[in-house]
Amino acid sequence: MLTYLRKRIISSALPLVVVVVGVFALARMTGNPASLYLPLNATDAMRADFIAKNGLDQPVLVQMADYFGGLLRLDFGTSLRTGEDAAAMALRAFPATLQLAAMTMVIAIVLAIIVGSAAALKPNGVLDRFASFVSMAAASIPDFWLAIVGIWVFAIYLGWLPTSGVMGAAAWVLPVATLVMRPFGALVQVIRGAMVTSLSEPYIKLARSKGATEYRVVTGHALRNAAAPALTVAGDLTVGLINGAVVVETIFGWPGIGKLMIDSILQRDFAVLQACVLLTALAIFVLNIVIDVGYALLDPRVRPTAGARARSKARAIAPGPDSTTPGGPAVPAAAGANA
Amino acid sequence: MFFSSKATTPVTRTRRLSMAVAAGALLGTTILSGCSVANSSGAGGSSSAGAPAAGDTLRVVLQQEPPTLEACESNLTSTGVVVRSTITEPLIERNPTSGELEPKLATEWTSKDDTTWTLKLREGVKFHDGSEFTAEDAAATIDRAVNGKLGCNVEGYVFGDDDLKVKVVDDTTLTVTSPKADPILPLRLSFLEVVPAETSTTEKVREPIGTGPYRLEKWEAGQSISASAFADYWGEAPAFPKANYQWRSEGSVRAAMVTSGEADIATGLSPEDNIGDLGVAYPNNETVALRMHADKAPFTDIKVRQAVNYAIDKEAIVASLYGGRDKAAAQLVPEGVVGHSESLPVWPYDPEKAKSLVEEAKAAGVDTSAQISLVVRSAQFPKIEELGQVIQEQLTQAGLNVKLKMLETSQHLTYQVRPFPTDDEGAIMLMTQHGNQAGDAAFTVDQYMTTKGAQSAFGTPELDKLIATADAATGDDRQGAFEKVFSYQNDNVVQFAHIAHQTGMLGVAATVDYEPNSSSGDELRLAEVTKGQ
Repeated sequence: MLTYLRKRIISSALPLVVVVVGVFALARMTGNPASLYLPLNATDAMRADFIAKNGLDQPVLVQMADYFGGLLRLDFGTSLRTGEDAAAMALRAFPATLQLAAMTMVIAIVLAIIVGSAAALKPNGVLDRFASFVSMAAASIPDFWLAIVGIWVFAIYLGWLPTSGVMGAAAWVLPVATLVMRPFGALVQVIRGAMVTSLSEPYIKLARSKGATEYRVVTGHALRNAAAPALTVAGDLTVGLINGAVVVETIFGWPGIGKLMIDSILQRDFAVLQACVLLTALAIFVLNIVIDVGYALLDPRVRPTAGARARSKARAIAPGPDSTTPGGPAVPAAAGANA
Repeated sequence: MFFSSKATTPVTRTRRLSMAVAAGALLGTTILSGCSVANSSGAGGSSSAGAPAAGDTLRVVLQQEPPTLEACESNLTSTGVVVRSTITEPLIERNPTSGELEPKLATEWTSKDDTTWTLKLREGVKFHDGSEFTAEDAAATIDRAVNGKLGCNVEGYVFGDDDLKVKVVDDTTLTVTSPKADPILPLRLSFLEVVPAETSTTEKVREPIGTGPYRLEKWEAGQSISASAFADYWGEAPAFPKANYQWRSEGSVRAAMVTSGEADIATGLSPEDNIGDLGVAYPNNETVALRMHADKAPFTDIKVRQAVNYAIDKEAIVASLYGGRDKAAAQLVPEGVVGHSESLPVWPYDPEKAKSLVEEAKAAGVDTSAQISLVVRSAQFPKIEELGQVIQEQLTQAGLNVKLKMLETSQHLTYQVRPFPTDDEGAIMLMTQHGNQAGDAAFTVDQYMTTKGAQSAFGTPELDKLIATADAATGDDRQGAFEKVFSYQNDNVVQFAHIAHQTGMLGVAATVDYEPNSSSGDELRLAEVTKGQ
């Protein structure tokens, strides 16, 4: 597993550099921030001062070299807007987004497993049709609309919840409820589809014929095999949330990284934008590793150690010229390993 | 198969168990942390829900978080709305309603030649750190903001490249000398918020020490700023012992916070935000106008620029888009600003006249079919998109070829300030929203109407002369001289088609009493807010 992780880390480092370089160059193509930070009637001398002070008069390559030099010293630059350390701003905002994403995904996954599995038990039954309708609606409702309606109903009309903000447990309800809808809707569809396929497989019939309870059939056999596609979709949805739930963060005043990133783009606050991008790219990189490990746990066929075991077993049985070649391509384990 | 299945069962169970534990731990951590978002004080706030409680705390919700609270950037709306006359104070303060200058940390100011001004300072004033306010602090404040290398926003906004000579005469007396006669120097000084002499002159300060009625308590970045009444304040103690600022970018959420009792005052609202009876409209000193660049056809001909003025139905725009609250405009400054002309007529809506002027220009050889780019900044003020579309339609009916160009702030600014883009297709017509916070037309016309003004597309030598005369005039002469400038622009230059003087709207809950004025959007003086009946 460690070799596998090492390979993943090395192969992901290049895209990470490409993302950072790309954002660096593209951000600078969007225009000079001087006009945003100086009064409209600033004199030419003031503009020149500002540009020189922030190194924006240098060629982009020189600016980039300075930036990467800074990264090596863990200096991410200073925000043009607030004068604060850019990394500190990004690191301050990121946990708020992560908390929101974690809460959202845990709730969405649990609900989707329950609803999706129940719907798959009787395809085209009443429950299945109802679940399909609800999940389709949930996946397609625009979040800004849902957020505003939520505020109107629960904060103003009923007065049960605060309109926005981050203070207290009640403040989580509307943002999380708004964010849960889309992943919930998408996951119900995926889980239901995978479960319908899974439940019609021969091993389910076998399990039933063994006398396994329906609960055991669903959770122990069918769900486990339906989990892989759900994990793929859940991973993609989580990546979207880690990038920041901009609409929800904006409406509810949630101090997350999505809002910070958008503000940094609009304000041409390059250092903060780059710090945010680097941080989210790193987080997504880590998340991808976690998803891969999750796959391996769910399905031994894709587990690298299982492949290695299969190889060594093959070598033991039939030692040949191959056996002297270390580290050949990973071979999927025997198909029966999962039976 | 059975064997295989049985053999893997314990492993599966263990794995399932470990996954369940992991999921449970994740949910548990999230729920446990659910009471507080990372880096927030969470439930440890002043009430059970963590939000500031009503009553002793004045709760204000702004459109955006201040980038900094640096006193020398307080001419920026997002900074000034918190800092000015609440955390810090100026030497001289302009009364937004009467336009008069009033004493604040300076009690009197005099000049014999409009070049050197002598200021007498208030005694017994303390900074929030307990130190005494003296002339040294006032001098250091001016030096820091105007003469230093800090790049203060207020320097560019009010003082330009001119440095001021500052001399401390004694603890309570100060002289300020400008390079040339400047009759409005005291007005310029009213933009400087006083900070202690020890304040850094090389770095901007996020959390300033001031002399104002409130002192900063805590700035939770991204969430809120809290302040408390300053016990040693030299003036009258404010009605609320505590104040709390939050920010929400969505207008309807700010309005909802007031209607649901979460906030006492919300800034930057519009009636569409469902604020109902709690919305209080006020003239906000902002004027919307179209600036026509005369370097390309069809704007090379004054007849076409006049046609634009006749073609736009300003009264209908005000009535239908802005509920009749705004006022059709004939000039760039509203009532209350020195130089505003009461008698200057608004261009009448006359579509036939507009059409005939365009025809006349065409007959004179002007390419009236040439494209005009109407450059508009997205979301600059409520219903700006609709306004752009109405203007496009009305100008099209007059026979002009107008293309609407919606841009975001940064791109829009490249059109707003010199040097203007030259590679644009067609003639430029920029929709601009101009606010004159200073209360004197000099701050407008120098920028927008002189031949080389930073935000002026063109001018004439005659108009430049009129502006120079007005800038140097004092008293009633000054008012008359600027009236002539505005009248001359409408009769002979026609760089602008004025649309409307705007109104702002605050949400004010019944828990407080506050009457907004033309400056409320730029400086919300919390000490003027009292408890509601």
